[in-house]
Order: sequence, then C-alpha cells, then structure tokens
Amino acid sequence: MELISWVILAVALALGVAWYLSYSAARLDRLHAKVEGALSALDANLVRRAESSLELANSGVLDPASALLLATAASDALERETEHALPDDLLDGQRFGGREDVESDLTETIRATLTPGVVAQIASDEGPAAEELERLIAAGRRVQFARNFHNQAVRDVRRVRGKRVVRWFRLAGHAELPEPVDFDDAVPGDR
Amino acid sequence: MRVGLVCPYSFDVPGGVQFHVRDLAEWLAAHGHAAQVLAPADDDADLPPYLTSCGRAIPVRYNGSVARLTFGPVTAARVNRWLADGDFDVLHLHEPMTPSASVLALWAFDGPIVATFHTATLRSRAMSAAYPLLRPSLEKISGRIAVSEAARRTVIRHIGGDAVVIPNGVDVAAFAGARPEPAWCGRPGAPTIGFLGRIDEPRKGLAVLSAAMEHVLGRMPGARLVVAGPGDVDGARDAMSPVVAAASEFLGPLSDADKARFLHSVDLYVAPNTGGESFGIILVEAMAAGAPVLASDLPAFLRVLGEGAGASFTNEDSGALASEILRLLDNDGLRVALAAAGSVRARDFDWSIVANDILAVYDTVTPPGLRSRAWN
Repeated sequence: MELISWVILAVALALGVAWYLSYSAARLDRLHAKVEGALSALDANLVRRAESSLELANSGVLDPASALLLATAASDALERETEHALPDDLLDGQRFGGREDVESDLTETIRATLTPGVVAQIASDEGPAAEELERLIAAGRRVQFARNFHNQAVRDVRRVRGKRVVRWFRLAGHAELPEPVDFDDAVPGDR
Repeated sequence: MRVGLVCPYSFDVPGGVQFHVRDLAEWLAAHGHAAQVLAPADDDADLPPYLTSCGRAIPVRYNGSVARLTFGPVTAARVNRWLADGDFDVLHLHEPMTPSASVLALWAFDGPIVATFHTATLRSRAMSAAYPLLRPSLEKISGRIAVSEAARRTVIRHIGGDAVVIPNGVDVAAFAGARPEPAWCGRPGAPTIGFLGRIDEPRKGLAVLSAAMEHVLGRMPGARLVVAGPGDVDGARDAMSPVVAAASEFLGPLSDADKARFLHSVDLYVAPNTGGESFGIILVEAMAAGAPVLASDLPAFLRVLGEGAGASFTNEDSGALASEILRLLDNDGLRVALAAAGSVRARDFDWSIVANDILAVYDTVTPPGLRSRAWN
C-alpha cells in the first residue's frame, strides 16, 4: 500500500477513536446529570413531605401523642440536608448524605400515626388538614418515583463507568461513584 | 405542561396501548395541559385534532404476533418534525422497545423522557439481539413506568433495572352509568354469562369457558352464554358442543358504549384467559360496570381483583370454572356482594388517580428550571 493510504487510514482511525471517546464522555455526562436531577427531585419532595407532616401535626386534627410523634420525626428529617456543594457542579450533588435513617423513621411514624382509619377521618372533614394530607401523600408518591428513577440512573452510571474505555481514558474525571439510595418510602394508602 | 405522547401501534386498529394513550391525552387536555400524540395512522383517516400520523402502519411479525408498525426514513423525518414543532417539556413513550415510532422518538429527543412498558411477554431471544443496539438510547429514559407487576418483572428480567408501577386507567363513571340492555340481562332460571375478547385467540380462553358451560347447562338448562368480541363466529360455534352452541349468542365486536352496557347487563362476567395478560383492564371495566367478576387465577388478574373484589378459579380447569359459575349463579347475595366490592375496587383504577400519578412522574423528571409553564 502507498504511504498516502497508510496516512489516510491512520487519520481515519484516529478520528474514529476520538469520536468514540467524545461520544462516551457525553453519554457519561448525561447519565451523571440524570443522577443529579433525580436526587434533587428526591430531596425536594422529601422536604415537602416533612413540611406537610409538620403542618399536619400542628393542625390539631391528630391526638396530642400522635401529633408529637409526627412533629418530632418530621423536624428530624428537616434538619438533615443533602450534601450539596455547588449547584451547577455535575460532580457534586450525587450523594444522599446518610439521610436514609431519618427518612425511614419518618415513613414509619407516618404509618403508625396516619392509619387508614385516621386518614379516612381527616379526608372526610375536607378542611385544611385534608389538603395537607393530600400534599403529604402527593409528596410521598413523588419520593417513591424519584428514588426509583435515581437508583435506575445510578445503575446506568455504574455500568457505563465499568467499561474499559471509560476506565482507561478516565472519562469520569474525579466524579464520585454515585450510590443507590435505599429507605422505607411507603405512602399511606399504597395500592 | 407540554406533553408529547408516542404510541408505536396504529390508531386505526383498537388495542390496549392505543386506548391508554388516547384516554391519557384526552385527560391531560381536559386538565389544562397541552398533549400531542404521535402514532401510525392512515393519513386520510378521520384523526382527532391532537393526533399526528407518522405514516401508514405495515403489518410485521414481532414478538410472537403480527403488529401494525411504522419505520423507515420517511417516518423518522416525520418524527423529527413532530418533536421540533411540539417543543415538549416531557416526552412520554409507550413500549419503547417496539421497533416503531417510540424507538425513533427516543433516539431523536433531547430532554426529559418517560417510558411506559405495557407488555408482560417480551421474548428474551429478540431482546438479547436488539439490546446492545438500544441500550445507549434506553439510558436517556429518566422515568420508567410499568402498567403492572407482571410488566415490571419483564422489565427487570429482560431490560435490567427497575420501574414504578402505575396501572392502566379506566373511566369508572362511564362504565358505572351505562344503561342495561334487556336482551343481555338474565331472567329467573335463565341467567346470562358474559365473555368478552377475541373468540379465535386461544389465550382468551373461550374454549375453557365453553367446556365449563357443558356442566353448567347440565344443572341449569336455561343458562345462556353471551359472547362479545371479534373473530370467526362459525369456527367458534363449530368448536363448541351442540348443546353449548345452542345456548350461546355471538354479538361480534362491540363499541365502547355497548361494551359498558354489556358488562352492566350480564349476571356474571367470566374472564377465562389462560395467559399473556399483563394487566387485565377488562376486569376493571367489568367491576366498574357493576358486574360480578369470575376470572382465571393469573397473577395479573389476582392483583387487580385484590381482596374479595372478584372470584377466581384454577387457570385452564373447566371443571373448577363450572363449579364456581354454579356456586355464584345459585347465590344472588354472593353476586351482589362481589359486584359491590368490585365497584369500590374499580375506583383505585379511575383515570383521575392514575393520571395524577403519571403527572407526578412528569413532575419528578422535569427539572423546575427547564419547565416552560406551571401546572396544578
């Protein structure tokens, strides 16, 4: 083969490799962004859930013992925040910061205080407490969705980051490996 | 919120996925959202205003049955134009693994994507061949929905990962308000048993029911079997024993309104399906219409029936089906109680509840900064 053909072949190969690397980097970047998006949706809805729980505890429709339990668990959850560093930094905001325990506790307290009987009672009164209960359930449902979607995104990131091309060329940079988030997220009245 | 819905199957033919997409689009539009649908359809057909056709569908053998799909460069160009014109906040694909409009839209769209998996019968051989090809674009899906636990297990097994379960919706009020049709109502000593589904599709189980009818007629000679659904009537009649054929009436395919009246009228609705059911929306429709339901014990069916909202029998066991039919026809109080429990259970699947869950998914996958308009 002529030298020129060799050169063309080498250039074509180099271009092909470059394209594949940039494609893989873009793919990984999109996945990291998805993890971050799902985590911020999870965070926002957990905060909403805790706020609604606190409102409901203070609304006077619950007996004082239930109200105290719910208020304590809700404010414990509100005190914890996700370890965000910079909001626009894709490498951060990918950790849940060990909130699983307080969120599981809140779920358990909601289940213990807002029993089906209590829920039916509040809903039938149609007052502000009923609206707050609706908000609590809506936020809880979104927590379930966001956690499921987050963990799916984490699985995708981890699979792609296991690829040789990503490891050899360090396409993930210094991004931490995201972790799945696991806690009890049941909602009153789950089907 | 601007929502783009993509249905891979032709809107010219009826089907569960098509009805789901149609009802969801209409519900969204009625509740202040801009919903557009992209689906295969004949261009000269009378299309609803929200529907854009991505081309005429071609019958293709896929995943064990013949599906009417659309693909090719012309379709791809139409998909791209629809996406560009729509400027969607979220794209909601149905059956994203089906080689039709959904796959093309998944490939082309850059933004939050939600996907609903309807089927519980993916073939793993076809999947493993297509998988490396589809995986990078499947990663673009931000939220996966499965319509049932069975569909979710299919996702977990064949695609990997997980999905949230949001069932199919039913317009409960439309079924509950249907007027009974005297011709399909039973009389004392001559109760009617309803069957609904393709009569020449073995998985719908008409053969199991007609074998059971033989026993039923032996004890209750006045009983009648009312069969609704498309298919070859002569063939179905020939497959029955003469005494069962004489006690059977074939109605052919029914309109939506007639289906509701049919379910409202019969004394007992039987779903003898032998498999391949992912969800069982027909059970919900029957319960919403106030029919007592007797279904085969498929996992998908048992889940829909919940605790005591319907009766069940051992799948493919016509003897067990016959004794359950007789037990229920003998006891009016039992049927009334089943119908009442069914009406309550059906409300869990009303569009108002189901669509709110789907909106919650849209909400979860759309970052607040990117959303173009607020919604309630």
